[in-house]
Amino acid sequence: MRRREILKGPAAALLGCVMAGAQRASAQPRTLPVIGYLGSETPERVASRLAAFRTGLADTGLVEGRDVAIAYRWADGRYEQLPALAKELVGHGIAVLVAPGGAPVVLAARAATETIPIVFEMGGDPVVLGLVDDLARPRGNLTGVSSLSVEVSNKRLEFMKELFPTADILAVAINPTSPTVGSQLVGLRTAADSLGVRLHLLEASREDVFEALFTEPRRLGIPGLVFTSDPFFAYRSEYLAMLAIRYGLPAITQSRDFPIAGGLMSYGGDFAQSHRQAGVYVGRVLKGEPPGDLPVQLVTRVELFANMKAASRLGMTVPPSILSSADGVIE
Amino acid sequence: MGPRKDAAMARFPIPLRNSLFRQYFLALFAAVAVPLLAAGGSQAWFGYRDQRARLDDLLGAEARTAAARIAHFIEQIGDQLAWMVQLSWTEAADERRRIDGLRLLRQVPAVTSLRLIDGASRERLSVSRTGLNRVESHADASADPPVLGARTKRAWFSPVTFHRNSEPYMTMALAGNRIAAGVAVAEINLKLILDVIAGIRVGETGRAFVLDGPGRLIAHPDISLVLRGSEDRTGENLQMLRAAIVAQGGGAVTGLDLAGRTVVAAMASISGPDWSVIVHQPVAEAFAPIYAAFWRLLGLLLAGTGFAAALAYWLANRMTGPIRLLEEGAASIGAGRFDHRIEIAREDELGRLAASFNQMAREVSVSQERSERIDRLKRFLAPQIAELVDRTGDDSVLDGHRVEVVVVFGDLRGFTPFSARSEPAAIMGVLGDYHAAIGAIVNRHNATLVSLAGDGVMILVNAPLACPEPALRAARMVIEMQATVQTLAATWRARGHALGFGIGLAMGPATVGRIGSDSRLDYTAIGTVTNLASRLCASAQDGQILVDSTAAEAIGSGVPLLSLGTRHLKGFDDPIAVFAVAIGRDADARSAPDEAPCTTLG
Repeated sequence: MRRREILKGPAAALLGCVMAGAQRASAQPRTLPVIGYLGSETPERVASRLAAFRTGLADTGLVEGRDVAIAYRWADGRYEQLPALAKELVGHGIAVLVAPGGAPVVLAARAATETIPIVFEMGGDPVVLGLVDDLARPRGNLTGVSSLSVEVSNKRLEFMKELFPTADILAVAINPTSPTVGSQLVGLRTAADSLGVRLHLLEASREDVFEALFTEPRRLGIPGLVFTSDPFFAYRSEYLAMLAIRYGLPAITQSRDFPIAGGLMSYGGDFAQSHRQAGVYVGRVLKGEPPGDLPVQLVTRVELFANMKAASRLGMTVPPSILSSADGVIE
Repeated sequence: MGPRKDAAMARFPIPLRNSLFRQYFLALFAAVAVPLLAAGGSQAWFGYRDQRARLDDLLGAEARTAAARIAHFIEQIGDQLAWMVQLSWTEAADERRRIDGLRLLRQVPAVTSLRLIDGASRERLSVSRTGLNRVESHADASADPPVLGARTKRAWFSPVTFHRNSEPYMTMALAGNRIAAGVAVAEINLKLILDVIAGIRVGETGRAFVLDGPGRLIAHPDISLVLRGSEDRTGENLQMLRAAIVAQGGGAVTGLDLAGRTVVAAMASISGPDWSVIVHQPVAEAFAPIYAAFWRLLGLLLAGTGFAAALAYWLANRMTGPIRLLEEGAASIGAGRFDHRIEIAREDELGRLAASFNQMAREVSVSQERSERIDRLKRFLAPQIAELVDRTGDDSVLDGHRVEVVVVFGDLRGFTPFSARSEPAAIMGVLGDYHAAIGAIVNRHNATLVSLAGDGVMILVNAPLACPEPALRAARMVIEMQATVQTLAATWRARGHALGFGIGLAMGPATVGRIGSDSRLDYTAIGTVTNLASRLCASAQDGQILVDSTAAEAIGSGVPLLSLGTRHLKGFDDPIAVFAVAIGRDADARSAPDEAPCTTLG
């Protein structure tokens, strides 16, 4: 009897906590802060990145639907619609605007508001793009995460050259509408000079011209295709992989989705890490930290993926230097 | 001043400040509370010191563990670099080392680029995560500080630099055992210490951070603080924390963390890169066990003190309560309330004292009753008898008896006309003289003056005190009485008052005892003998003493008697034989020194 009495206390306290939690959960939906999520593509294409973002939010203790609401807007690949979508989100009383997936998105977000905090996730250099003054002290309503994808397009050229040490020309796919294309080309040209290759530039900013990216090198006898870093390409990795298989052209892109879908190789920043970090920053901004106090983070992890099946299908051997440094080898 | 207040003053005549209760209370309370508080206080103090010392030790150990983990991060890189400088360089291009270099980048995420320098200080390999790799560039590296540093100290660490003023980087160089093995130079992104530092927990919320030699923050669980770069000022109080620890000689100190919370901090150093690893824990958390112990102790002390106070109050009350009752009891009895009793149901000395007190009260009450009764008896007993009764404390002599008694009646002749025509003062003067004379004689003869009503008196002999030869004693008394009153009567007659005195004396059995109630009590004799004496008195002439035959027989020859024959007396059917005491020749009767004393009736 006495023991039961003793047990009653903690049990009642526990029950009280649970009840209080339940009450809080049921009382809060009206006052949940809203995150505006500006998506450049479709929910299906960004599913893995969105999951990483939510993980980051959860790292700060926030769960969608319980602590925060997220208002999504999807441009479905039509990046010219992004500014309008951003304005729409800003008009909906959001607490923070998330601009993931590249420079076009964050530029559209910045054009929409100068007061609502913006957390970006992109591959370019935010200082070069004029988004922030200083990585350490962003000093505006923007902060976020920059992956290394853009900076390492020269490394992609280097890997391709390593696959074809004797090649004197390699194809490079660029998106002429990308805000970072200029800086990437500067880096690529410098690298090409060091590596002793010429570059054949191929432009594509729409899906319907993707085929030409593969048919053109085949036609010209160029052994390999190097994709510059661009979210438009990255989000269409499966399609690019399918084309690469169809036309039997060795290619390297920024996203691991490409070798996973049957492409040969990828080298680029770990988007899971960058999106997760963006989620953490959104959580911290929601908890009251001014974005100007949050330094822009550079993603540390750059990953190399190679698909051995694709290599054997292309009739080539991947050199040990690449195999030994690959983070993921798909057999 | 009301009666209530009087009562209160009588009950508490001593101010509380001086009261026994207060003295007892303070003494008992102090006896328990002082040792308790002293023990508790010293326990709290020593407990605090022990806990504090243990906390310092614990934090020191945590700091050393944290430092070891950070150092391990660096050593791991050093181990990897050591692999790269195990073999001597040859002039030929070394594909094997290129692959090893690429593998090292994969193996150690913190290394962003690696350069290998041969024995001749030429760069043979450079691999990078972001820049282009270089093979066999043969660029001269002999003047590079990392190469020079590694050649002299084997392992060399550059100062921490902040890439783009945000990300902390450090260059580490390691030379092989032989010069020909060359030097490996790695650029390390210190941001990756985050994985290590974020995993360090001190207690619940205590964390660790790393400062480099100049005091810049290079590792913190919140990476954004590190990324604010070298120009940020938020790290200043962390530097102050370190300065405080150094000033204190390395022990744990209390200071402020970045959030402005008060923390306890301890430090350990990493020798290679000259960094300081500082662990800190919020004071509230670190001292929580101390506070918990303190509050527990305080609670116990309060409970103990409260208990001591309650105990002291109870004991003091137990001690002084009965004393107060006794005091009140004494006051009550002093005020004449002898029925007052003290209720102290205890077996100890106080209980015994109360019992004695109650016994005393009972006895005082009894003796008071008795003395009151005796006071009442004294009104009709001769002083000697009264004293006797008083002395023996027993008035049972006054209880009803049937006894052979001598009854004497006497009254003044001619008093009624005298009182009718005289002034009250004269009447009272006569009666005063008369009563004084009668009273003195009755007392002298140990007789009992039963009634003194105006000019008539009734006197008993042999009751309530038994005397030897009561009749003779009575005869002698009446002779003296007659003589004395006749002497008085001569002076009255001289003043013109025609007064005389006649006496009747009879002897016989009668019931003697107290009659009446408590408020009006008389002692008398009931029986024929009383009537007879009264009738004889009425029948006697002035100066005459009439005696009945029973008394005359008892007197015998002790006093000369004359037989007057028989007389018809009112209330008696038969004629009564009457004798008269022969007065005038009574000088011998007057002195009766051999009279035996009377004694109480059995």
